[in-house]
Amino acid sequence: MSGAVASMRWRLPLIGALGAVVLVFWLAVAVLAPWIAPYPAGHVVDPDGLGPMSWAYPLGTDYLGRDMLSRVLLGARITVGVSLVATLLACLAGVTLALFAAARGGWLDAVLSRVLDALISVPSLLFGLVVVASLGASMGVLIGTAAVIYAPGAYRTARALAVNINALDFVTVARARGEGTFFIMREEILPNMLLPVLTDFGLRFVYVVLLLSGLSFLGLGIQPPYADWGSLVRENLEGLVDGSPAVIMPAIAIATLTIAVNLIIDNLPTRGGASHER
Amino acid sequence: MDELTRGADGIIRAMLRRGATRRQALGWLGGAGMGLATAGGVLMRAGQALADAPKRGGSIRVAGFSSSTADTVDPARQTLSTDYSRCTMFYNGLTRLDESLTPQPELAETITDDKATVWTFKLRQGVTFHDGKPLTSADVVYSLLRHKDPKVASIAKTLAAQMQEVKATGPNEVQVTLSAPNADFPVVLGTFHFLIIKDGSTDFTTAIGTGPYECKEFTPGVRSIAVRNEQYWKPGKPYLDQIEFFGIPDETARVNALLSGDIQVAGGISARATRQIKAAEGFEVFETKSGGYTDLVIRQDAEPTKNPDLTMALKYLFDREQMRTAIFRGYAVLGNDQPVDPSNRFWCKDIPQRAFDLDKAKFHFQKSGIGTTPLPIVASPAASSSVEMAVLMQDAAQKVGLTLDIKRVPADGYWANSWMKVPLGFGNINPRPSADILLSLFFKSDAPWNESGWKNPQFDQLLLAARSETDLPKRKQMYCDMQSLVHDGCGIGIPLFISILDAHSSKVKGLRPIPTGGLMGYNFAESIWLDA
Amino acid sequence: MNAIMARLVVTRVAVSLLTLWIVSILVFGATELLPGDVAEAVLGQAATPDAVAGLRAALHLDQPGWLRYLIWLGGLLHGDPGRSLVNHLPVAQLIGNRLPNSLLLAALTAAFSVPLALTIGITAAVKRGSLYDRTTSLFAVAVVSVPEFLVATLAVLIFAVKLHWLPALSSVRDVHSVEQLLRSFAMPVVSLSFVVMAQMARMSRAALIGTLDSSYVEIARLKGARPARVVLRHALPNALGPIVNAVALSLSFLLGGVIIIETIFNYPGLAKLMVDAVSTRDMPVVQACAMIFCAAYLLLTTLADIAAILSNPRLRTR
Repeated sequence: MSGAVASMRWRLPLIGALGAVVLVFWLAVAVLAPWIAPYPAGHVVDPDGLGPMSWAYPLGTDYLGRDMLSRVLLGARITVGVSLVATLLACLAGVTLALFAAARGGWLDAVLSRVLDALISVPSLLFGLVVVASLGASMGVLIGTAAVIYAPGAYRTARALAVNINALDFVTVARARGEGTFFIMREEILPNMLLPVLTDFGLRFVYVVLLLSGLSFLGLGIQPPYADWGSLVRENLEGLVDGSPAVIMPAIAIATLTIAVNLIIDNLPTRGGASHER
Repeated sequence: MDELTRGADGIIRAMLRRGATRRQALGWLGGAGMGLATAGGVLMRAGQALADAPKRGGSIRVAGFSSSTADTVDPARQTLSTDYSRCTMFYNGLTRLDESLTPQPELAETITDDKATVWTFKLRQGVTFHDGKPLTSADVVYSLLRHKDPKVASIAKTLAAQMQEVKATGPNEVQVTLSAPNADFPVVLGTFHFLIIKDGSTDFTTAIGTGPYECKEFTPGVRSIAVRNEQYWKPGKPYLDQIEFFGIPDETARVNALLSGDIQVAGGISARATRQIKAAEGFEVFETKSGGYTDLVIRQDAEPTKNPDLTMALKYLFDREQMRTAIFRGYAVLGNDQPVDPSNRFWCKDIPQRAFDLDKAKFHFQKSGIGTTPLPIVASPAASSSVEMAVLMQDAAQKVGLTLDIKRVPADGYWANSWMKVPLGFGNINPRPSADILLSLFFKSDAPWNESGWKNPQFDQLLLAARSETDLPKRKQMYCDMQSLVHDGCGIGIPLFISILDAHSSKVKGLRPIPTGGLMGYNFAESIWLDA
Repeated sequence: MNAIMARLVVTRVAVSLLTLWIVSILVFGATELLPGDVAEAVLGQAATPDAVAGLRAALHLDQPGWLRYLIWLGGLLHGDPGRSLVNHLPVAQLIGNRLPNSLLLAALTAAFSVPLALTIGITAAVKRGSLYDRTTSLFAVAVVSVPEFLVATLAVLIFAVKLHWLPALSSVRDVHSVEQLLRSFAMPVVSLSFVVMAQMARMSRAALIGTLDSSYVEIARLKGARPARVVLRHALPNALGPIVNAVALSLSFLLGGVIIIETIFNYPGLAKLMVDAVSTRDMPVVQACAMIFCAAYLLLTTLADIAAILSNPRLRTR
């Protein structure tokens, strides 16, 4: 039988568990940030700026003299929340459309592929600016923009995988059996490309996290004094010269988050590969 | 070295250059409150500086902050400081502005006026363009009149409008009749757009002027190469053999290029980069105190900002000292909500400095009745450091109960779409060569760039009167009154005057601050030399 | 088979032209939708209503949008991509100066990153679960997680400013030998590779794992084939489609997505030209750049699709 998800064994290896712990930690921080951050995001504690780590300011101060710990905690909401949602949207949209295109084939596949090709070819800077100008700069618009920018890539990747699998015998057999498109998409093709799709999700998540700082520079979504982690790194870049925590800490935060997500993905149990032909 | 000593250095050097004796110089220093030991040090340094005579030769690479296909060597089309730096390498003007923004003769050897309305310029003899053609009055007439031609679309069209008639009254003499008296007309002619080009020039793929360097190569968006004009009419100048000038828009990249030796001069750096430069050996920060500022624009014709109490409350919310340290690392001069800065000869020092006062701010805020309604404040990287100022203001505003909602907009299209169009936003004004130009452009009731939309007839009258007033103390008093009016009632908050900063290798010498802009009012090319 | 291939290529080319046309309309529309125009952008703060109107008239911006688009399109079809609205230089010249630079950077990065990434990905898949696999996977993710500007800035700080081993700026102009080439391009290429390697390595690993677990590979193993042969002859060809696709996606980034690297190293490439053109609403330049990036992307994805079809015989009948 194919697509027997129930037969997966849910034994997550230790390192995957570590990833899960880190992710849950950041999710908790994102939710609780306004209550645990010691200072408001815009409050100047020490005008001299770029101070070192100390008891008073555990992650140092930023270029304007604001407490970095608070800024990183408050930035978690945006980085973790927006990135997860946007990446989920992008991948869901991309993968669903890709499965559809691969299963149906023919002119539907051609049209979808070309439309998404055109979409990916509009420069994202131009796209971002137009979105700000016409739709304003709310959080929803930010999520939507990020999702739209990365959906075509997810589509392409998923389609390449799906097309490969679609050509295999058991899928032809399923079609001959009279199974409908959605059944084939869900039960025959998808389970056999799960690992690459999840890997792609993990990568896309990293791209979205980093995209956020570029988009907020265009005025999309996050207004000062709040900032996502990527923006925190960017605005404190001058501290790189003396290795200020202001620039290093947010970069480490980003890395821990993205590595955690990818560790989970890497260590999810997959059924012995493509053993669908039972 | 503290402020006093730094300032003294410059003054003593100028005194010595003008022929003061050492005793006179020491006497001045004592009078300035300096102890003998410090005074002696200053004197020694000054002497050494004079001994540091310019050396001829060498080639440098200079990077400005912008480089795009909009780069131009057409004086009428210059918009960026990089354009100014480039054009001053190849052209000269009729006059040139010095450290106190006083016009000095350049291509115009003598300047005479009749009631500040009819100006006669006698041109210097023996000046030739790079292609050998001698400078004549026809070139000057052409260069000045083209600004009025709509097809040329000159940036200086408004300034040029005051020239009612320009004619050559001889092969080396030009007469300009103004539509109204303007004692500052020679200052206007010393600004960048009025550089003199060859009669009939329409093609600006290269630059042919009378300036210190010839244009060997000019590729917009890439670079220009200037080589010494051996026939330059100023003896001994320029000192360098060649200047390669291009743009590195990313500031960090520009600074890194300097620190790694790829370039010798980095034009236009922010206060934040000074950290790195001061920490490195063999590099210096060059500060030019000038009248440029980023201001809070409180529209007087929009709700809710037209409320005078709200306007006042906002001005009291400026923690100027904090901004000076946190944002500008000390490279700024406190401003007093009026646009004439201390380096200007007409600066009025009698106006009491407005302080950071939460009590007064709270009082005015409560009187204004805004309450808890959030007030959007628009800031953009286009108006330098405005986002940081907004952040600091928001923090302070919270303490008196005012909620400021920061709306950061991209630099893209800021000037066309947000500046002066939102009730509360920021502007950024570059230094102008004269108080008259500054006040006329930005504070006159009907000026297109009257940022806050205030209308004060008394101010307008004073402005017009001061322009034609030739009695200096009277003129000063008029400007003082105007500054008071702006300070008290205008919807403009000016917390600081931002110093212009450049950085260079210590081997590059000869830079002296001129308040019209960085790198000696962008006119650095003929004055610097390499002490390799 | 050849006939099928030829038909595919021809169809693809035709469709690509269609896509390019659609993209040109989208880009034109987007530029029009943006507030402000060339006149305001060029004049900046100096934009008085007079000056703006004067410049607009001079640039024919008072004509309606659809007319300007058609004029531009007509010119393009005759081989003339127009002139920059900002400085009147021919677009062909502006692009011609920079396209070789962009291609060079992309080619060098591809030459460096693709073999490295694929090797890492394939070997990690083969040694799945081992310490090597875990370490390289972690490393790949860590490397792509560091923001591009941080990597590049750090590299410049260390290698150019502190050590003086490499120049801070990247210039094609002063390169006269292979050694100079390597020195000038080392940092930009490595920084860019950090960004693209992860996708190629991770996706090739994931795709290969999928095929390595399949029954026909099991059969090959049971038949006693050597591991290398198993991988290369049996598993890899079936994973080739997704792998080449990942490579194509990564490489398409290298032409238009490298704005940060071009900025930090002051590299005169196309990405920066386009960003500047968008800021100044210089429509002909924006269009030309968008067309080139789109064409490159379409070319790469077409090649990827062809490779997928060639490697998977079952796809040839579609």
